[in-house]
Formats: sequence, C-alpha cells, structure tokens
Amino acid sequence: MAHQRSKRLLAGVAVLALPLALAACGGDSGGGDDQATSGATTFTIWDYENDDSAMGQAWAKAIEIFETEHPDVKVVTEDQTFEQIQKNAKIFLTGDDVPDIMEYNKGNATAGQLASQGLITSLTDVATERGWDTTLPASIQTTAKYDEQGLMGSGDWYGVPNYGEFVGVYYNQDAFDQLGIAVPTTFEEFEASLKAFKDAGITPLATAGAEYPMGQLWYELVLHYGDRQLVDDYQLFANDVDFQGDAFTQATNKLDEWIKAGYIASDSAALTAEDMGVSFIGGTYPMMVSGSWWFGRLVEEVPFTWGQFLFPGNDLHPGSSGNLWVVPENAKAKDLAYDFIDITLRPEVQEVLGQAGGLPVAGDSSTITDEKTRELTENFENILGDDGLAYYPDWPVPGFYDVIVSELQSLINQSKSPTEVLDGLSTAYFEGKTDLTEG
Amino acid sequence: MSTTVAERRTPRGRRSRQWLGYLPYLLPGLVAFTVVILIPFGMNVYYSLHKWKGGNAPMRWYGFGNYADLLHDEKFLTSFQNSIWMIVAMVVVPTLLGLILAAVLFDVLGKRFGPRTASVLRATYYLPQILPVAVAGVLWNWILNAQTGAINEVLRSLGVENPPNWLGDTTTALPTVMLVLIWIQIGYPVVIFMSALQRVDPELYEAAELDGAGWVHRFRAITIPQIKPETFVITLTCTVAALKVFGPIYVLTRGGPESSTLVPSYYSYLNFFDKSKVGYGAAIANVLTLLIILVAVAIMVLQARSARREEEGH
Repeated sequence: MAHQRSKRLLAGVAVLALPLALAACGGDSGGGDDQATSGATTFTIWDYENDDSAMGQAWAKAIEIFETEHPDVKVVTEDQTFEQIQKNAKIFLTGDDVPDIMEYNKGNATAGQLASQGLITSLTDVATERGWDTTLPASIQTTAKYDEQGLMGSGDWYGVPNYGEFVGVYYNQDAFDQLGIAVPTTFEEFEASLKAFKDAGITPLATAGAEYPMGQLWYELVLHYGDRQLVDDYQLFANDVDFQGDAFTQATNKLDEWIKAGYIASDSAALTAEDMGVSFIGGTYPMMVSGSWWFGRLVEEVPFTWGQFLFPGNDLHPGSSGNLWVVPENAKAKDLAYDFIDITLRPEVQEVLGQAGGLPVAGDSSTITDEKTRELTENFENILGDDGLAYYPDWPVPGFYDVIVSELQSLINQSKSPTEVLDGLSTAYFEGKTDLTEG
Repeated sequence: MSTTVAERRTPRGRRSRQWLGYLPYLLPGLVAFTVVILIPFGMNVYYSLHKWKGGNAPMRWYGFGNYADLLHDEKFLTSFQNSIWMIVAMVVVPTLLGLILAAVLFDVLGKRFGPRTASVLRATYYLPQILPVAVAGVLWNWILNAQTGAINEVLRSLGVENPPNWLGDTTTALPTVMLVLIWIQIGYPVVIFMSALQRVDPELYEAAELDGAGWVHRFRAITIPQIKPETFVITLTCTVAALKVFGPIYVLTRGGPESSTLVPSYYSYLNFFDKSKVGYGAAIANVLTLLIILVAVAIMVLQARSARREEEGH
C-alpha cells in the first residue's frame, strides 16, 4: 500500500514536471456509486470533430436535447485535436481535471490501452441497464468492449460509438465514360479496369504511402483472399496468424504486382492521405480506395460526376464503429455522461447523422433524402447486415501503424520483396502481441 | 583561551552568513532544477527499469532488460547512426558555411554596401530560425512533394521525366532532410559569428593589411582564432540540438520511409505514445540524455583546454 502511495506521489510530481516522463499511476479510482446522481452543475465534453461535420451536427443536436432535459446543468464543450487527445490522453486522464465525457479512438492500440491502464470507466452495467447492448449491432459492439489486457471484442464495455465508418472505392465516372470503361462489379473487372486505365496512360489508383491509405488498400486485398476466421485471428488473437500463409501472401504479391504494373504511382511513398484526396478531387487519378470519412468533402469539392462502390468481390471490408464516447475514471459527473450517450443514440440524433452522411449505427437509411448519402448508408447497412466489418490493419498491436506504413513504403519503392515485407510485419506483430498479452 | 575560540568562530560564522546571503538567489534555480530536471530524470530512470504501459497499469520490474533489449534493436541503432548525419547537417555544415557567410557579410558586403545591407541579409538568413518548425515543415512538404512539389514541377518543365522522390525514397530522404536542417540552422551561426566579428579589434586587420596580408590570410590568421569562443558555443548548442532533434523529423518524414530518417528522440516518442512501451521509451531517452551529457562535457573540456592554451600564450 505504502509503495503504491509513494508511487502515486512521485508520478504526480513527474506529470507536473516533465511531459516526456509520461508520468502517472495514481489517481483515485473513482469509488462510490457511478450510477448515483452527481448533482454536478457543469458537464464537460471533449471532442475533435468539426462543427460542420455529420458528427458535429448530430452532437450539437444531442447537446440541445441534453440542455432541455437538464436545465440546471451548464454544458461546456472543448474542441481538441485528434492528435492532442490521442497522444496525451494517458497523461491528462491521470489527473483530476478531466472531462466528464470524451471522444476517443477505438481499437487495441488506443481505447484498449486506456481501458487496460484503468483510465476510463467500465460501462458494462450502464450498457445493460440502458439497453445499449441491444441497440448496437454486434460487429459495432466489438470495438466497445475490451478485456483486462486492452484487447477488443470481449470483456467490459468501455466506450459507446454512435456512428460507423468503412472503406470502399470512390470513382470518377467522367474518366470511366471518357475511355468507355465499365464500372467494375467483380474483382476481375476491377483489375481489368486498372489495366485499361494504365494502358491509356493513366495511373488508376490514388494512394499515399506515408499514411493509412496504402495499408487499407493492402488490407482490402488481405480480406479479399481471407475470411472471418483470419480477421478474428489477426484482430482478436483467436489463433496465431501465419503471415506467410495463403491470404497474406496472395494479397501482398497482388499489391506488388499492381505496383510493378504501374497501377499505383511509384513516387507515392511519401505522400499523405491529404495528397491522395486532393489528387483524386483534382481528377489526376480515376479511383481512390478510402474511407467514408471522405464522403462529405467529396460532396463539397469534387467537380466531376463521381460514385462509390464496395471493394469488388469482398465480403469483408475495413471499417468499424466510429470513435467512441468514453467516460474518464476520474470524471465528476458520470451520471450526466451516461445520459448524454443515451441521447446520442436516440432516433432524432441518429437521423441528423444519417442525413449528413455520418453513418448512424441505430438509424434508418430509408428516411435519408439525398441519393448519394442514402447509397453510402445502405452500403454500410449491407456490410453490418453481413457482419462484414473487419476493422483496420493497424489495430491489433500498438505501434503497428508505423510498421505497416514503413513496410509498404518498401513495397512501393521496390526495396523489399513481398516475403520480406511479410516477415517485417510478422516480427512486429508478434513482438507487439507479446507486449500486450504479457503486460 | 576565550579569544582563541572567538577567533576561530568568527570566520566560520561569517562564512555561513555569506552562504545564507546567497541563498535567496540560488533557491529558485535549485527548486526549478530539482522539479523540472532532477525529479523527472529520476522518474525516467525508474520507469526505464520497468515494463509499463503507463497510466494506472501495473508496473513490472525488468531491471536493465530494456537497456539490454536496446542493444539488439536495429531501429535504435539506426536512429543513433542517423544522429551522426544530423550533426553533420546541424553543426558541421552550418558552422562552416555560417563562418564564411558571416565573414563575407561583415567584411565584404558590409563594407561595400553599408552595414544596413549586411543587417538585412543577416536577418534573411535568420528567418528560418524564427519560423515555427511546423510551418517550415508544411512549407518544405509543398516544395518537396514528389508529385505536386515545386522542385519537381520545375524539373519536369525542364524535361526531367522521373524527378527524385525527395522524401519518399530511402536513398534521398536523409540527404533531403539534412538540406532542410541546414536551411533552418544556417542563420544561427551567421548571427553569432557576425556579432563576434564586431568584437574583434579592427587594428589587428589594419596592421595585417599594412603587412600585405590578403583577405584569406587575414581570415585564417585573425578571424578564426579571434572568434574561437563563439565557435565553441555554436558547436556545443548545435550538437545538443542535433542529438535531440525531433520537430523537423516529425513534420517532414515521421522517421520514414522505412526508418531511414529515424532519430532517437522520435523513436523514444514512438515507444512512449504509440506503442505504450513506457519503460522502453524511457530507456531510449536516458541513453540519449547520457550521450548528450558526454558530448557536452567533451566539448566544454576542449573549450577550457583551448582557453588555457591561449592564456598561456600558445
């Protein structure tokens, strides 16, 4: 006990003194009855969504309802940046000056870490009591639950998502029409369209090697050759993964083949996701494999006729719930946080999300008036209906994002063979898995 | 007898009173040093001896395991190798170029076009130093972008079909980052050297000129020895900055592609924040701290030796 207390004291000093020391431990574990009414007069929300995004609009609606139902409570919203919260959460959540509710990224490497570090509140009892466990589809719930080691898919509820996201293909209809290429519906047709564009002197796929896009394209291919069991093994550690097995090998060889064939620009290793989006919007590339988070921007900025389709021939797609609402362990008004989460899942808030293309997780796409938005939402509902969300490639272990980026840069630059890339991924994956499971 | 005791006591009492007199001036610094440096450093050493995810997660004693693991970590070794290149880019090249630029600005341009022109040029060289590194990073990303960057646009317009992938190729990324660092760094030695040159007695130059010494000869025989103290200061501060460089790497390459521009501070950060390997990240930071202390002490010893030699008239 004494050791624990002195550790807390020391850590507290370090938090104050040196950010690099990361600091921490300590912090009162909350105690008391989380369900009891706190009597708080202020409710603090931290999030990192733009006010005009679908989420921003929906949450503004949720705050409006919350304020009507809690007239004595003052709502304070603080805009953070994704990076700010992502990188610093484990430092500031050890203190007492924490928000009552906070948006946080989902996955083993993020929310899972906070859960295993005891920094966010278990929501299991509240989820059952308030019926969130029945409102949310099963594949959405995976990212809400984390075990003691911070691995998603089982254990307690630690966060609640109210929107979703998935990766698909955006295409430039005008470019397809100009060359008389049909929009592909199968994997073979997709490859044929890539070749047709290349033969016409156009690099078909917009991508970016310095950030997530290339990893997501690679993962689409892994999912093309893999199945749900592989996803469970890879993401949820159900069984050991063989990186030199069929699915990973075929996918990586295929990507290598596409790079060699010039379907992906050979100078894209240092490009960012923003570069990719801008070049697609600018009409340089006819196709872009990326997430639903681009949808709103494309609606606003794309000057040509465009469309979207799910990666052809895939039953599984990169995607998941959106980011989570988490309740810090040291939050003062947890009861209000639960009320707020409840409100975000109500039909009137979910409808705002849906109309703005925010992929509601408890909504009804038939009420969406805009055709493109309805198509996007229906695509998402189809994926959910088929249990087709396969999460993201960098989720299994902390730090894997950088490894995937680095290894796939080697593939773009042709400095490593597919086998060497898979060896690199395998080594980092198993090291990370050991760190995670052994603590 | 009593006199002897009184004689003995007085100096000691005076000494302790003297010490007390200085205390109010020393105390804030001591407290700040303890809170900001000593305790966190101690904590960092403590963390480095554990396996720990951070937060409220349990800590597991690991002894010197993290340090032993570092010895087999290729990325860690690569990051320190890259530090040598950072020293070339932030110390060696800027100091040499800065010296020449300062001398030319002070001696040639300043005399021919007036001190105001020299000041404007000096400020121009210093501009990258006051520019926030994030802004400089965005600026250089625009310039160096393989597909849309200004340099490659120019090269393409000149008929170069496959211009270099500056930050995306393992062979060009490190040299490109080094060039950006030189650009950022160059103003610092220029400013220091120019103020150092103002300190040099003009009579020395006049006497040398009368003896028929040319510019190069005067530069070697007068300028360089006279501004030696400033050269040591620049070498020390820039070497420390080069060893712990973080910002430019973060905004330009994030250590990539394929770890070719990884540096120790960024690698430590990756382990701390992305991998939640707090103990391992702490160990990297400690090795870096130790190295910086060793290098700083070595440079200071060299400086002291040089000053002593000068005093002795060598």
